[in-house]
Amino acid sequence: MNEDIYWALIDIANGLLSGAMLGGYYAIISIGLALTFGVMRLVNLAHGDLLVLAAYLAVLVLQFLPISPFITLAIVVPVMFAIGYGLQRYLLNAISVQSMERKGMSTGFGLMSPILVTFGLSIVIAHALLGGFASDSRIIRNALSFSAIRLSEDLNVSTLRLIFFAIAVGILIFLHLFLHRTQSGRAIRAASDDAEIAPLVGIGTAKINALASGISLAIAGVAGVMVGMSRTFQPFDGPVFLLVAFGVVIVGGLGSIVGSLVGGVLLGVTQVLAGTYFGPSAQLVAGYMLILFVLAVRPQGLFARRR
Amino acid sequence: MSTSAPDSSELLPELLKVKGLSAYYGESRALYGVGFGIEKGTVRSIVGANGAGKSTLLRAIVGMMNRGRAAHMAGTIEYEGRRIDHLETESIVDLGITMVPEGRRLFSSMTVEDNLLAGAFLPRCRAAAQDSLEDVYSFFPRLADRRKQPVAQMSGGEQQMVAIGRALMSAPQLILFDELSLGLAPIVVDQIYERIVEINARGTTCIVIEQDMKRALAVASDVSVLLEGRIVLEGKPADLGIEQVSAAYFGAAATEPAT
Repeated sequence: MNEDIYWALIDIANGLLSGAMLGGYYAIISIGLALTFGVMRLVNLAHGDLLVLAAYLAVLVLQFLPISPFITLAIVVPVMFAIGYGLQRYLLNAISVQSMERKGMSTGFGLMSPILVTFGLSIVIAHALLGGFASDSRIIRNALSFSAIRLSEDLNVSTLRLIFFAIAVGILIFLHLFLHRTQSGRAIRAASDDAEIAPLVGIGTAKINALASGISLAIAGVAGVMVGMSRTFQPFDGPVFLLVAFGVVIVGGLGSIVGSLVGGVLLGVTQVLAGTYFGPSAQLVAGYMLILFVLAVRPQGLFARRR
Repeated sequence: MSTSAPDSSELLPELLKVKGLSAYYGESRALYGVGFGIEKGTVRSIVGANGAGKSTLLRAIVGMMNRGRAAHMAGTIEYEGRRIDHLETESIVDLGITMVPEGRRLFSSMTVEDNLLAGAFLPRCRAAAQDSLEDVYSFFPRLADRRKQPVAQMSGGEQQMVAIGRALMSAPQLILFDELSLGLAPIVVDQIYERIVEINARGTTCIVIEQDMKRALAVASDVSVLLEGRIVLEGKPADLGIEQVSAAYFGAAATEPAT
């Protein structure tokens, strides 16, 4: 009897732990999406594909350099930043609501065009990856894949997940400090609050949007490498991560860094516990049920900023 | 159109010169060939009824009417002898012009201090940001106590102080004030206008849009009356008198101003 209770508790503890670890990684997948939406009111439907692109970039780097997968971040992150900066500066700024209004199009058209363009971009990236890397499943091999840290005799946590969780928390803290303590970060928040007025204090929104987009994809780059190290991926996996990102943003609330971590952890724990008790097929169902529940009860998300 | 400008003005350097300015929102026209000059160190009040084009005029000066078909303009605007009518707002602000917009328009999710520091975003302002901040706090002591408070929780008067402080942070030569008194209690408005006088006394040129005509005339060294997108009267408040300005405001048959 006592043993039954012990094992039940161990199951829950393992579920909570591995769910929480998964949540850190979910937070990192979603924060870029939340940032671009918060600042530019732009729903980047290519977010997941860009993340997969980052994983393939790491694969590419590893083909030429025999380095640890973690070190590939030193190349992948700046490349993703540059892609994000350039994409916003030279493509997405040109089709923003403001640009469309300047061209005499309606606001509705302006809101719709980035959705269509990023959707197209998503297809282009997926097919480019298919062309370049074929459809085989890949994984970024690393020494830690099967390593675990034993917390007690029956309580384990994957070393990789723990490292990812630490990196995720580190990135979120860094992002928070950047947004609150630097002039560029303040400018991003100012442009997010009132894009029309920000230029009145000298904030050029074209550059600030590009910066926000660069940071967003730099973080997606970290997430992509994490994804690649912890599971197999294929060129068309982008939408899977986009959905995770949407889920986290809905649960945690837009524009909140704490929200993305809590949203990620809640989603992760829900999925893992559902998986433990009802089998693997229940994982996704439970995740979507959580999303639906939050949408029904608190549609702005748990940590939404009041507007 | 009747204008009157004292002869002495020809000798003073004009900080801002607007010529033949027309502005449009889509198909509808808001300004019809407006022209005037602002001398350095003065306060210009622009009065006029709702829809006369006052805000549009200010928006045009700070480059907010360069919005393609949605909002566009024609004519020239010179600042310190240099054309600025084709520049983006952030470049105009870098040259030393800024605006305190109607409705304050603070960065609503941010604290008082962050709003002010955002005002010092320009590279030329960053080194002095901490000094400017202390300046603003000594200028509006009430803000110093609330530096960490989110602006959304503040009263309208305090928010207006933040908006003015934010504008001061960019070290402007020319500030445009759009309807400072909107929605504020008269006693608060008095305090705000005392500060405007002080800002001007420090050498900053001001353009003020104000619904309360007495206040507009009291603060101004020059006044322009806008009626349906045209300047119908211009001069020194003392020369014109409130009756004449009121008549022009309401569009009474144009009476030639006494010169």
